[in-house]
Amino acid sequence: MPGSGKLDPDLAQQAIEYCYQQDWSDGLPLVPVSQPLLDRFLAQTGRAPQEIIGSLEATGRDCTVELAAINAAMAGCRPEYFPVVLAAFEALMLDRAARGGGWQSTSGPAPLIVVNGPVRGELGLNAGGGVFGPGFRPNATVARSIGLIVRNVFGVKPQVLEQATQGLPGRWSICLAENEEESPWEPLSVEAGQPPGDSAVSAALLRTCEFVDNRHTQDPEQVLWDFADTISRTGALIFRDASCGVVFCPEHAQLLAAAGFSKAGVKDWLVEHCGRTGAELRRAGKDGVNENNVRFAGDTAAPGSGNSFSRILPSRQHVPIVVAGARNAAISMVVRVFGLWSGTAVGVESRAGAWAGQAAPEG
Amino acid sequence: MPNAILDPTGGAGYAPAAAGPGQTGSLVLAPRRRGLTGAKVGLLVNTKQNADIFLDEVGKLLVERHGAAGILARTKAAFAQPAPECLLKELTTECDVVVTGIGDCGSCSASAVADGVALEGRGTPAAVICSDAFTGSADAIAGLRGAPGYQYATTPHPVAALTPAQVRERALAVLPDVVALLTDPR
Repeated sequence: MPGSGKLDPDLAQQAIEYCYQQDWSDGLPLVPVSQPLLDRFLAQTGRAPQEIIGSLEATGRDCTVELAAINAAMAGCRPEYFPVVLAAFEALMLDRAARGGGWQSTSGPAPLIVVNGPVRGELGLNAGGGVFGPGFRPNATVARSIGLIVRNVFGVKPQVLEQATQGLPGRWSICLAENEEESPWEPLSVEAGQPPGDSAVSAALLRTCEFVDNRHTQDPEQVLWDFADTISRTGALIFRDASCGVVFCPEHAQLLAAAGFSKAGVKDWLVEHCGRTGAELRRAGKDGVNENNVRFAGDTAAPGSGNSFSRILPSRQHVPIVVAGARNAAISMVVRVFGLWSGTAVGVESRAGAWAGQAAPEG
Repeated sequence: MPNAILDPTGGAGYAPAAAGPGQTGSLVLAPRRRGLTGAKVGLLVNTKQNADIFLDEVGKLLVERHGAAGILARTKAAFAQPAPECLLKELTTECDVVVTGIGDCGSCSASAVADGVALEGRGTPAAVICSDAFTGSADAIAGLRGAPGYQYATTPHPVAALTPAQVRERALAVLPDVVALLTDPR
C-alpha cells in the first residue's frame, strides 16, 4: 500500500461517484471494484466463479460466486472475508423467508449473521463490546455485502420491489461473532450441527432487536420473566406462533448457567412462560386465529377465554440463543425472528494457509 | 489504460420496451372476449386477509350482473411466490378468464402480477387486483417479466382490516375495472 502522498483522492472520488450514478449503492460510498481486486476475492475460494449460490424466484435472478465477490468487495470487505460472506449467504438461503418474499416484505427484515469458530479471531470479528456495531470492518462489511447482493444481484431495491413500510435500524449491519470465550454454553454452530472448533456461520431474518436491561436481581427466574415480558408483547404478534431469540450478554448467560440453566433449559423456560392471556390478546385485537394461523380481532368473548393463556413459542427451534457482547453490564438483546431459523450452520471454507500472514497483500 | 469498474448486477438491468396496442413489452395479451356472458371465471385467491371474501364477491357479481356461467375458485399455497405450473394449467384449461389477488403486501403484489402475466402468456385474459399502496412493486415486476405497463385493477389501501361488508363494497367498486380488463367490446 503506497503512502497517502501517492494516492489520488480526486480519481477515487470520481470512481465512487460513478458507482452512485449506476444506482448500485445502499446510500453509502462503495469501493469501486476492478478485475485484480475481484481476482483476489476469487482466490479465497475453491468454488467456480459461475457457480450459482442462491436464486430468487420472484425476480428470476441467480447469484453466482463471482457476483457475490463483486458485491462483497464493493461493500468494503477484504478478500479474506469472502469465505465468511459465502457462508453467510448460504446460511441465509436456508431461511425459507429469504428464498421467498422476505426481501420484498413490508416488514423490511434484517439478516442476523452469527459467526463461530477460529475465523472470528483470524479476521478480527468483534464478539465483545458494541457487538451490534459499528466500528469493526469485518462485522460491518460482511453484513453490508448481503444487502448489496439483494439489491444488485436479486434486483430488490427500496420502494420498488422492496416494500418496507418503515424498515428497521440495523438492516445490512448485524453480523455478530459469538463470544464463545465468555459463554457458559456450547457455541451456536455446534448446536446447529457443526463440529466444535470449526468456523461456521448461522443466519436468520429478523424483524427487530429489543434490549432487556436487568441489572436488578440475581434471581434467574426474575431475569427470565423480564425477557418473557419483552418476547410476549402483543405488538409483535401477527401469527398464532412466533419465533424469538435472545443474544445474551455474558453476565446474563453466566448468571443463568450458575443457577443451573443449560441453553436448552432456558429455551424450555421461555417456551413455557412466553405468551398472553385471552383478555390481553383481545385488548389488542389479536385474539382470533384464522385457518392460515393469522391473528385477527375476534367478535365475541367465549366464556372463560379471557383467562386462558396462549403460549406463542412452539418449540426450542423457535428460540435461538447466542452469547455476545461485553461483560460490563447485564444488558441483552431480544431478536425477533421473521420466519423460523433453519437451525443449520454453514461451515466456512478454509484454504490452507490462506488466513495466516494476510497482512496487506494488495498493492 | 485504467481497469474497468465491474458491474455488480451482472448486466441484468431493467429493460422496459415500448408497448403497442394489445401488447405490453414482449408480452402479447390474451385475446379478449366482447363480454363475459357464458364465460367460466377462475378465481386465484392468494390467502391474504380478506382476499377470499373479496374475490368470491367479484365472482358472484360477474355471474349476477355480467352473465358469467360459473366460478372455479382456487387458492395458492404461498402468497409470496408465483402460482405453481399445475395451478396455472388448471385455471387456463378450465376457465375463460381469471381474476386474482389481493396484492396487499410487498411480495404478494409482485407475485399476483407475475401470475397475471403468466396467465396472459398462456392465452387466458387475467384481471389482477392490487392495493393501491403497492403499484411500485406491481409495475416493477411487470417490467421484469417482460410486460412493462401491464394493466391491473387497484383498490384503496388498506384491505386487511376491513369488515366483510366493507370488503364486499370494495368488490362492487372495482367491478367495472375488472370487467374492462377482461373484455374488449370493440
